[in-house]
Amino acid sequence: MIYREAGQFKTTYAADQAVFSIVQDRVAVAAAVVGAFVVPPLVASEYWLQAVLIPFLVYALAAIGLNLLTGYAGQLSLGTGGFMAVGAYSAFKLATAFPHLNVLVVFVLSGLVAAGVGLVFGIPSLRIKGFYLAVATLASQFFLVWLFNKVAWFTNYASSGTITAPDRTLFGVVITGPNSAPSARYLVALGLVAVFAVIAKNLVRGRIGRSWMAIRDRDIAAEIIGVRPLRTKLLAFGISSFYCGVAGAGLVFLYLGSAETLAFDISISFLVLFMVIIGGLGSILGSFLGAAFIVLMPIVLANAPHALGLRLPVALQKQIELMVFGGLIIFFLIVEPRGLARLWQITKEKLRLWPFPH
Amino acid sequence: MTAPAGPLLEVDGVSVRFGALVAVNRVSLRVGRREIVAIIGPNGAGKTTLLNAVSGFYHPYEGTIAFEGRDRTHLAPPDVAALGIARTFQNVALFKGMSVLDNIMTGRLLKMSGSFLLEALYWGPARRQELEHRAFVERIIDFLEIQAIRKTPAGRLPYGLQKRVELARALAAEPKLLLLDEPMAGMNVEEKEDMCRFILDVNQEFGTTIALIEHDMGVVMDISDRVVVLDYGRKIGDGPPAEVRRDQAVLDAYLGVAHA
Repeated sequence: MIYREAGQFKTTYAADQAVFSIVQDRVAVAAAVVGAFVVPPLVASEYWLQAVLIPFLVYALAAIGLNLLTGYAGQLSLGTGGFMAVGAYSAFKLATAFPHLNVLVVFVLSGLVAAGVGLVFGIPSLRIKGFYLAVATLASQFFLVWLFNKVAWFTNYASSGTITAPDRTLFGVVITGPNSAPSARYLVALGLVAVFAVIAKNLVRGRIGRSWMAIRDRDIAAEIIGVRPLRTKLLAFGISSFYCGVAGAGLVFLYLGSAETLAFDISISFLVLFMVIIGGLGSILGSFLGAAFIVLMPIVLANAPHALGLRLPVALQKQIELMVFGGLIIFFLIVEPRGLARLWQITKEKLRLWPFPH
Repeated sequence: MTAPAGPLLEVDGVSVRFGALVAVNRVSLRVGRREIVAIIGPNGAGKTTLLNAVSGFYHPYEGTIAFEGRDRTHLAPPDVAALGIARTFQNVALFKGMSVLDNIMTGRLLKMSGSFLLEALYWGPARRQELEHRAFVERIIDFLEIQAIRKTPAGRLPYGLQKRVELARALAAEPKLLLLDEPMAGMNVEEKEDMCRFILDVNQEFGTTIALIEHDMGVVMDISDRVVVLDYGRKIGDGPPAEVRRDQAVLDAYLGVAHA
C-alpha cells in the first residue's frame, strides 16, 4: 500500500530514464544518503566505525569496480587484489613524495595508476574468455604482489616492508594516518563511495554500459553493431582497475592505517569476487549488498553464540563461524543465483501489489 | 534522391574456404538500391557463409566485395557496421540480459558520440544525446509494434518476438543495407505474415535495401524483387522470382536429378 506507483505518470523520456523513477524510491534513497552522512558520526562507536562501516565502504568500492568488469562487461577477473595493491602503493608513494598534494588528488591519481596497470593486464582478454581469462588475471595478482614485496623502493626502503598512511588533512581536519579520528575517515570513505557509485551508475546506464553488456551477452552480435571488442574490454579493465585502485588506497589510508603486501593477497580477490556474486552480477546496488553481507556476517556470527548465551571454546566457535558462513553463501546462491540485488527486486515487485497476491 | 547510380552491394567472384572445403565458390551477385533480394538454396549451400563474408566475419579467399562502389573486402565487422550494413542472425543473437529497450538502444551505438566525462556525470550533451536516441528508438518500437515489451529482458521473450526485437535492433542503426538471415525460421503462419509486412514496410518507408536468406518459398516468391540461388557454394540461378521458379538447374537442385 505504501510502495505504490499508481498515479505517477511519466510524461517524458527523461522521467522514464531516471535511475529512481518512483517517488518513494527517491525519498528513501535521499533519506538513506543523508542518514549515512549524519547519523553514524554522531551515534556510532569507534568500534562500529572502524571494524564495520569503514571496511564495508572500502570493500563496496572494490566490489563496484569488479562488478563493472565481471558483472557488466562479463570479463572474469581474479586480479582485484593486485590492482588494489597498485592503488595502495601508488597512494603511499605519491603521498610521501609530494606531502602537499591534497589527499583526494592522491586517491584519484593512484586510481589512475591502477587503471594503467589494469589496461596492460586486460590485453589478454581479447583472445581468452571465461575461466581461462580468470587464470590469466591471476598472473597480475601474483606478479604485482611479488613486485611490491621485492622492490624496496615501493615501501620507501622500510625495513619492515610495511607502508603506513601519513597524516594528511582535508579542510583542516586530519583524515588519514595514526592521528585521524574514525568518524573523519568514515566521512571521507562515504564521500568517495557515494561519488564513484553515482559515476558507475551513470556509466552503466548509458552508451558505455550498453556496449559492455553487449560484449558480455553476445560478442559476435555486438561486433556487427559496431562495438569494438578490444577497446570496450580494455575500457572495462581500465575503469574497473581505477575503482579497485582507489579502494586499495582507501584500504590502507582510511581503514588499516598500515599494511603489508599480505593485505592484498589472492584471498582478497576472492573475497571481492564473492561480494559481487552474492550481491548480484551486473548491479551497482548488489555490490553494496554483497559487501555488507561479507563484512557483516562474520561479525554477526562471532557475536551470535554470546548473544544466545552459549559458551563455546574459542577454537570451536571459529570453526562453526566458518561453517555457517559457507553454508549461508550456498543457501543464498541456491535461493537466488542472481544475488541479493535480485531478491531485493523481487521484494519490491511484491510490495507494489501488497496486500493483494496478484 | 541524389544517390549515385550503380548497385549498392557488389560481390564479385568471392570464394570462402575452410581448409579444403570451399563453402562459397566464385559467387558474384549484385544488390541494387532499394531492392529486396532473396538468397535461397538447399542446406549447406553457403548462404550464411556468404552473408558472413559480406558482414566481415569471414574474409574471402578470392574475389572482392564492394559497397557503394568502394572495395571493402577485408574490413572487420565493426567497420562494416560503420558503412551502414546491419544484420540479424539465423539463431537469434539478442543481448539476453538487457531489456528490449537497451537492446535497441545498443543498435544506435554508432550514431552516438562519446565524451567519457560527460557520460560519467550524465550531464548536458550526454543526457541530451540519450534522450534524442531514446525518442528515435521509440519510433522503431512503434513501427514494429513492440511497445508492451520495451522494459522486458530480451531473454524472457518468446521466439517470434525475439526475432522482431532483433530486427528492431538492426533498424536502429538506420542501415543502408539490411541482411536478414532466415528472419522467419521457426515462426507460425501469423508471425510470418507479420514479419513479411514489416520487411516490406521497412523497404518502402525507410528505403532500406534488403538481402535475406529464407527457406519458405511462398514468402520468398511474394516479397522479393529478385532471387539468387546457391547450391554447393555456386550460384546456379539469379532473376525475378517467376523466372527462377521455372529454371531447370534450380529445380534439379531442390528436387534432385533422376539418375538413369
